[in-house]
Amino acid sequence: MTGTPLLQAQGLVKRYGGVVATDQVTLRIDPGEVLGVIGPNGAGKSTLIGLLGGELAPSEGRIVYCGEDITRVGASERARRGIGRTYQIPRPFLDMTVRENLLAARHSVQAFEPARQAAQACDAILERCGLIDAAARPARELPLLRRKRLEVARALALGPKLLLLDEVGAGLVDAEVTELIGLIQSLRHEVQGLVIIEHVLRVVRECCERLMVINFGKTFAEGPTAQVMGSDEVAAIYLGTAHGKKATPAAAPAAPAAPAKVARPVDVRAEPLLALQGVHAGYGLARVLDGVDLQVRAGEVVAVLGTNGAGKTTLARVISGSLVPTAGTLRVDGHDRTGQPPHVLSRLGLAQCMEGRRIFGTLTVEENLLLAARGVRDTLRAERLQRVYALFPDLAQRRRNAGTSMSGGQQQMLAIGRALMAQPRLIVFDEISLGLAPIMMDRLYEALAALRAQGLTMLVVEQDVDRALDLADRVYVMEHGRIALSGTAQAVRNDPQLRHLYIGTAD
Amino acid sequence: MAPPSTSALRAPAMTARPWWPELWRTLIPAALLLLALMAPVMSDYALEIGFRLLLLVALAEAWNLMAGYGGLVSLGTASFVGVGAYVLTGAVNKAGLHWALALPLGGLAGALLALVVSRAVFRLRGLYFTVGTLALAEALRLFMVNFAPFGGATGLFLAVDPPGLQGLFGVALSVLVVTTVVMEVATRSRFSILLRTVRDDEDAAAQVGVRPFRIKLITFMLASFLMGLAGAAQGLKLGAIEPYGMFGMNWTVTVLSVVVIGGQGLRAGPVVGAVFVVALAELLADWPAVHLAITGVILIAVIRFAPQGLVGLGLALLRRRDFGSGGAR
Repeated sequence: MTGTPLLQAQGLVKRYGGVVATDQVTLRIDPGEVLGVIGPNGAGKSTLIGLLGGELAPSEGRIVYCGEDITRVGASERARRGIGRTYQIPRPFLDMTVRENLLAARHSVQAFEPARQAAQACDAILERCGLIDAAARPARELPLLRRKRLEVARALALGPKLLLLDEVGAGLVDAEVTELIGLIQSLRHEVQGLVIIEHVLRVVRECCERLMVINFGKTFAEGPTAQVMGSDEVAAIYLGTAHGKKATPAAAPAAPAAPAKVARPVDVRAEPLLALQGVHAGYGLARVLDGVDLQVRAGEVVAVLGTNGAGKTTLARVISGSLVPTAGTLRVDGHDRTGQPPHVLSRLGLAQCMEGRRIFGTLTVEENLLLAARGVRDTLRAERLQRVYALFPDLAQRRRNAGTSMSGGQQQMLAIGRALMAQPRLIVFDEISLGLAPIMMDRLYEALAALRAQGLTMLVVEQDVDRALDLADRVYVMEHGRIALSGTAQAVRNDPQLRHLYIGTAD
Repeated sequence: MAPPSTSALRAPAMTARPWWPELWRTLIPAALLLLALMAPVMSDYALEIGFRLLLLVALAEAWNLMAGYGGLVSLGTASFVGVGAYVLTGAVNKAGLHWALALPLGGLAGALLALVVSRAVFRLRGLYFTVGTLALAEALRLFMVNFAPFGGATGLFLAVDPPGLQGLFGVALSVLVVTTVVMEVATRSRFSILLRTVRDDEDAAAQVGVRPFRIKLITFMLASFLMGLAGAAQGLKLGAIEPYGMFGMNWTVTVLSVVVIGGQGLRAGPVVGAVFVVALAELLADWPAVHLAITGVILIAVIRFAPQGLVGLGLALLRRRDFGSGGAR
């Protein structure tokens, strides 16, 4: 025993009605320590952060911080004593500027600090987190990944002693993960203790000394990082095929986990189902897409790869109709549909499955699904519902639960199921594996492979190069708002430029 | 994490600061001064309308502080107006205070009422808070109607003569000056940052160390002080007050429509809204039924087509002219 631990939690239990989200979790963080927490989606990791951060009151157990019992101390008081946290799904103050988001933390902790000094301190943090260019913009304008950065920056503005990071690495490409690891390492000199919940295994491997695996709310395994990661039990419940696989993308043409791809007949002479030509688009004065050409033929699976900020999500928004291109054309079946609103495009058979999920929380799983097939005959609707349930048995089990009560992976299944209910001709999947446990990603991609076998046309926007290449017939790689590389999955996989684009540009 | 070179959202070259907030800041004191100078030469009709307008602006500002900046949509305006009026009358009649001293007492009574009920109403959030304040207002009105020591349904008479129209105009102007000072401090200081965090996300605010209850309480008390002050001024003008009028839903609804029409969370909103509402009421004074119907239609139109009110609509147009329109829907 070396001195007082920074934080000690004993026998934490959190019950929601009859559901036990956290069950007898005990943990200890000593000064200078970084603890990693991993586990499948829905294992109760975010609940644990909520309990430590003070947002949730435990049903049982006690929490001692710096030698003081803080079990009954509220969230704001804990924050003032130096416990900072981030939210897995970012919750910035949307109608305030990015700088004001940080100033809020700063002013609440040091109420009488001179304004200039506070602003300087906040700008230094923004600089460090790569958000300084957006300091004066409303947080609402930030895309999801930058909101995650804002979560970290805002927690840092507190000047915390203990920092709880909830999946801040999700959706980052390799070079950005390296940056994140650099940031976390540099924090070790300022922050006394860190708890990191993460599915990006590189972050866990390189930052955490100790690892805790949570499954069904219980501590499943605990110990030094290498030992826990090497355990077969942990591989079985969490790591899936990522176990033992090389972490660098596109390092080698990995053997596809899914059943071997069968080439399907694609009529190359027919009008493409979707064709973009010379599309330019952006937000206000910020130009994001700079002349994109892309085609999807009926029956094809097309993947769009690229680093964050390359314009992938903007491209998906153009295809959904929620963003009007400033130049160029969008054709569906050869007809010009540029500038048509989303509901028109969706009536033409284009469906979206977006990052961030957007499930209606007040509706049940089944209602969420049925809603997507409004105006369809009952028998047909029931039939489609059965097909979705066959694809995702998890959803069938939880048909009466509220949509947002499920884990991240299950919500993503629901989002896919909802897109399928409309029986679209083309589904655009926008980073559906974001923030999912490796084993859950395996299951989602198995489902996509099954859909592929049924002949569904798909456009997959993805961060994970290997998985995308395994699934797709053709691939586009984006860089700086343009298509930098395209071709068949096989050709792109072997192209040295792919590796260069992914690893060489962002650092 | 250094900014990646491929960052999708580069800050647009927005070097020129918008000029309208600065203009607005100099406009407020100038307008208040002008009103003070004009008072001696204004007609009785103008003074009468002016009194109503200034009081309505003050009330709307107070309500806007809660709803627009703090996310606390209250339907309890009438309670605080009523308490202010009754306390003024009581203090003048029973304690023999000069009305000028009784006016701030009305405000303090409003703030005190806010403090007393805060524990109860802050247990409720969002819409439930709104309904809670409505229940408070109705309960208080029924109490006042039935409680004989406060005059019951007949109400109270002010024992002294109210000041003349000039004096009343001055009172309303002073109320507005106090309101403006409070609003300037509350919406331009670091307090406003804390307040807006509570509006945007109360839980996330707590996680960064903000104490939501305290912030909401301060806001509620400030707004209620201003409402009580305005109520006291109204009581002074009427000379005879009764619960149906002073605690009536009319106050609540008028103030709400002023802010919704003018623009929530915007400093200029209440002024523009109040001018609009008072002008409309005067134009249609002879056709009360038509007036109600038209107000309803306007409210629906504003909520549907200009959720940020007339001021928000104007600002959006200005911004579009200055920076060009984005492609985003």
